[in-house]
Amino acid sequence: MPNPYIPILTKVKSMVSENEVNDIKTFELEFVNEEEYKAFDYVPGQFAEISIIGKGECPIGIASSPTEEGTIKFTIKKMGTVTSAFHNCDIGDTIGIRGPLGNGWPMEELKGKNIVVIGGGFAFSTLRSLVLYVLDDKHRKDYGNITVIYGNRDSSEVLYRDLLEEWEKRDDIEIVLTIDREEESWTRKVGFVAAVVKEVAPSSENAVAVVCGPPIMIKTAQNELEKLNWKDEQILNSLEMQMKCGIGKCGRCNIGEKFVCIDGPVFSLAELKRMPKEH
Amino acid sequence: MDEKIFAKKDIGKLLEELVPEYKFYAPTKIKGNIAFKEITDVKEIELDYLNSKVPPKDVLFPQKEIIFEYKYEGKDVIIEERKDLEDKILIFGVRPCDAYSFKLLEDFFASGDFQDDIFLKKRENATIIGLGCNTPRQSCFCTSVGGHPFQKESTDVYLSDLGDIFLVEAISDKGKSLVKKLTWLSDAKKADVDKAKDLAKQAEESITTKFNFDLVTKVLDENFEHPVWQEISESCIGCSSCTFLCPTCTCFDVIDENDEYNNRGRRIRIWDTCQSCLYTLETSGHNPRPAKIQRCRNRIMHKFSYYPSNYDCLGCVGCGRCITACPVNNELRLIIDKILEIEEKSGEKVSA
Repeated sequence: MPNPYIPILTKVKSMVSENEVNDIKTFELEFVNEEEYKAFDYVPGQFAEISIIGKGECPIGIASSPTEEGTIKFTIKKMGTVTSAFHNCDIGDTIGIRGPLGNGWPMEELKGKNIVVIGGGFAFSTLRSLVLYVLDDKHRKDYGNITVIYGNRDSSEVLYRDLLEEWEKRDDIEIVLTIDREEESWTRKVGFVAAVVKEVAPSSENAVAVVCGPPIMIKTAQNELEKLNWKDEQILNSLEMQMKCGIGKCGRCNIGEKFVCIDGPVFSLAELKRMPKEH
Repeated sequence: MDEKIFAKKDIGKLLEELVPEYKFYAPTKIKGNIAFKEITDVKEIELDYLNSKVPPKDVLFPQKEIIFEYKYEGKDVIIEERKDLEDKILIFGVRPCDAYSFKLLEDFFASGDFQDDIFLKKRENATIIGLGCNTPRQSCFCTSVGGHPFQKESTDVYLSDLGDIFLVEAISDKGKSLVKKLTWLSDAKKADVDKAKDLAKQAEESITTKFNFDLVTKVLDENFEHPVWQEISESCIGCSSCTFLCPTCTCFDVIDENDEYNNRGRRIRIWDTCQSCLYTLETSGHNPRPAKIQRCRNRIMHKFSYYPSNYDCLGCVGCGRCITACPVNNELRLIIDKILEIEEKSGEKVSA
């Protein structure tokens, strides 16, 4: 059994700024050892502990889809010590990765279902992974309709614009974008994600909602879905929590007896309702 | 008779014979407190003690330890794994409660899809020489958590303190081969074995703190939102002595320490505590357990509710360290009493 705290080494291959204020970047990483890349077998919704050796480690959702071969991507907002160090990286710098970790979105269970993707802010990264996975030629027929409701504070914060444009050209996915306040030249929806969920009123029939965003957005979006007769089992949420190890040992990401790192980060609303309100 | 004996004054012989092969840890007196430290000189061993202040857990899971070391060569990083995990360790004089804690720690670190290789390797290479408790402390309650002051199961070799001599029993295979090597041990007499049995009985009888933890777990599971938690957490000052001195607490933080001038450093883990608000504070400022009430509740729930659910045993060995360490006397016995009062009161309501 190898030491699970030893990271795999990768190099920064590219960095793309995702917003105007330049505090969100998507990093594409290249594995130093090809074998290790092949062994890095993940599903959308999983995360990894990534580190700048010497600065520290933090858990970040995997933004790339396993269908994007030859690459692994993380979208990182500049927040604390480690994420700031990421933003100071150069091409070729060494990044440590431990993962994939967590359960991820239940791609098998989602088969045959319509999927309503609800995301807010930069937490959209693992939803990007999920949508890309479902839209891939190999998988598209396995899943029903996809509706994406994606909200941001303002238009400059919208991530993955090129990708969103590509998706909008397709007729097998509906994209609903919203920002919190009116802006000149913004022709999409205006209002909080929950309000847009209410307006779009996605049908709960043979459907699953996957929700990822700030805690208040998750909560309000859940409330709207419940009003639209969605059952708790149909609503899946990806949670974030302070973590150090990502493998169920360091202790801090527990919600009751569950650990977000190994039992989650994806929980159904039914599961969350059985857990203490400590997230 | 399989049991052996050796005179306490011959402890130096034991040390002398085992030191070349093992890192020999034993109770020593440091600044007035008993602590398990690596020793090479018999004079350092302290045999007159009830139990150590810090549990011997810290021999295998120290307050601070290296996960790996690294060095930078330009933009490349070279990771150096620890090489000392194969060292043979012997811990002498471990009380039965603490010996049992090694089993809990081992089960926890081995559980799930990811095993904690650092702890497990050290555990595998460690030999535990247990020592029965002739005089349990007033704060001890091992018999309520499935333990006993003379419990032998979690040790490799088990000693009973018979005054001038130790009675020696080999428990595990590891212990049996160790005892076999100590050819200078004498055979025990029936009187020695009988004396140990008497001491065990006396020790058990002297433990007066008794709880029905099945009931505690049931009440905890049903009363997460109960106002009693406000009362329980009121006097807590969040000093975390209870968690830092607990033989079953395993939480840790991870930090990179750099030697900037030499382009190298090490990733370490250090004990952390669920009693600190920083423990769960997220970079965004959001904190899932921002108040004392949630943090106090988490400790008790973890030991007596989450542990039974996840690992089918209590996360407590009854050593009583959290009881004696609490500076505001907000100690476990009182907390458990308050929790059980919930049940008593609801019983009264039903009968009324």
